[in-house]
Amino acid sequence: MTEMTHDRAATPRRTAAQRLHDLLSMPAGAILLVFVLVQIACIAGGLLFPDDFRYLSPANMGIMMRSVPVLGCLALGAGMLMIAGEFDLSIGSVYTFTAVVMAMLVGNGVDAFLAAPAGLLIGAAIGLLNGALTLRFNLPSFIVTLGGLLFWRGAVLLLNGAIQVRFDPNPVFNELFSGTILGINAAFIWFIALCLVFYALLHRHRFGNHVFATGGNRSAATAIGVNTNRIKLMAFAIAGFMAAFAGILATTRVGSVQPGQGTGLELQAIAACVIGGLSLRGGRGSILGVFLGVMLIFTITDVLLLLRAPGFYLDMFIASLIVVASIFNHGLDRRGAST
Amino acid sequence: MSLLALHNINKTFGPLKALTDLSFEVGHSEVVGLLGDNGAGKSTTVNMISGIHRPSSGYISVDGQRQDFANRRDSAEAGIETIYQNTALVDCLSISRNIFLGRELTDRFGFLDLKQMREIAMQVLESAVHISGINSPDKLVGDLSGGQKQAVAIARAVFFKRRVLLLDEPTSALSVRETEALLHQVLKLKSEGVSSVLVTHNLYHAYQVCDRFVIMSHGTKVFDVAKADTTIEELTQHVVLT
Repeated sequence: MTEMTHDRAATPRRTAAQRLHDLLSMPAGAILLVFVLVQIACIAGGLLFPDDFRYLSPANMGIMMRSVPVLGCLALGAGMLMIAGEFDLSIGSVYTFTAVVMAMLVGNGVDAFLAAPAGLLIGAAIGLLNGALTLRFNLPSFIVTLGGLLFWRGAVLLLNGAIQVRFDPNPVFNELFSGTILGINAAFIWFIALCLVFYALLHRHRFGNHVFATGGNRSAATAIGVNTNRIKLMAFAIAGFMAAFAGILATTRVGSVQPGQGTGLELQAIAACVIGGLSLRGGRGSILGVFLGVMLIFTITDVLLLLRAPGFYLDMFIASLIVVASIFNHGLDRRGAST
Repeated sequence: MSLLALHNINKTFGPLKALTDLSFEVGHSEVVGLLGDNGAGKSTTVNMISGIHRPSSGYISVDGQRQDFANRRDSAEAGIETIYQNTALVDCLSISRNIFLGRELTDRFGFLDLKQMREIAMQVLESAVHISGINSPDKLVGDLSGGQKQAVAIARAVFFKRRVLLLDEPTSALSVRETEALLHQVLKLKSEGVSSVLVTHNLYHAYQVCDRFVIMSHGTKVFDVAKADTTIEELTQHVVLT
């Protein structure tokens, strides 16, 4: 993305229309435009009506920063996998399952700093299993991970029944994942840091180049010598890992795990990715898009809550956003990593 | 000594015998036309040379050295680049990323040197391949025409110093003008010491540029002749009647 801005600076004689066209044809250009407009409107509203529309109040900012990271981490993993051309519907269940395992380990006296990596490893291993089944038997990952969704949801109940598990880690662990640093929520800092890591990995690293190639044209990538199976397996593992990481953030924040808490999260994560400009067919998208997709979902949710809109408005708004985003993206379906 | 040679190659897929006792050679700075009707075994031969299939018996040699290609990377290391019908490019990636796909320039942590990749890509496109209309290495390959895509694939081969290009039905998706440009490119590369194998069933395109013709039928070679010793009528007869 930096290259593109650089290019534009080098050729100053572009008209406004061309600039707009360039912006819109960037992988995350349209969503960026929408996001900025929504933010401007919200900030203006917050400044004009500080008492009725508390968008800028510290309490509201705090809520936003605490809500975003869980879905954000799930979407980062799901997004990378989608760009590689596969789905993972099981991440919501994996998120709950690994959180339950971690909480139970801590409940049995294991240190949280050992239990959390164990959860992450289980998440990655489940991702690998999904990937291995998908690739070994040449199945659609949609089906395999639909199986995973049901299986691991059941496994949660098998492990601990339909009761909540308390999570009571040591204070250092608590501070690290749900504390506040310089007024900013720790989980949000984790999310931003992970966005940067994913950006570097996907857009600046050889691995990301191979992820785009695998999702964009698998036979070409294979012909050139990219090991597409390995890339897909790694992407599956990353999706599982990030689901487990989201589980750690959510569990530390709340202090317990509800057996039903992950239901529907996988679809929200995919929705965030689609809003952010990722193609369901793979090969197209950007980390900026995923980030903005997640942020936009929460901003709109937040605005509707602040306006005291009834709950069902939320789903209807998100639904419309997904469909409009897909219609828009459909026309640009060949766009991908632009540099 | 020949640059690339196939020695008595047989290939069976289960009960199906795809290639029978196939031998032919490609010399240095030579353009060979590999001709034959559909189903003659041309594609199997290409896949064999590029390392996708392994011979059931017989072997391939490069510079007289016996080779055992397990995958495409092996054949690329031996200096052979295959340019496929539906060129092996990724539409959603830029030209420079495509040229370096699988052989990215990176630092030791695997991070891409995008600046250098763009500069080299532009240089290669400008100097080695003269196809108009490509003005930026950041263009997505999906936005290019069929001929431009092939130019990118050839640029890739040229940059990585391949010595043999295998062009599998290169002209089937091209306009007349693009075809001319491509054939011209093959001759230019020949003058620079790059051999080509033009796999096609378009005799007229092959006749324009090839120095020698190998005609296949039913999985084996039925005719092998230098251009000076044959006519396009004779070639047609061998393709059609054998």
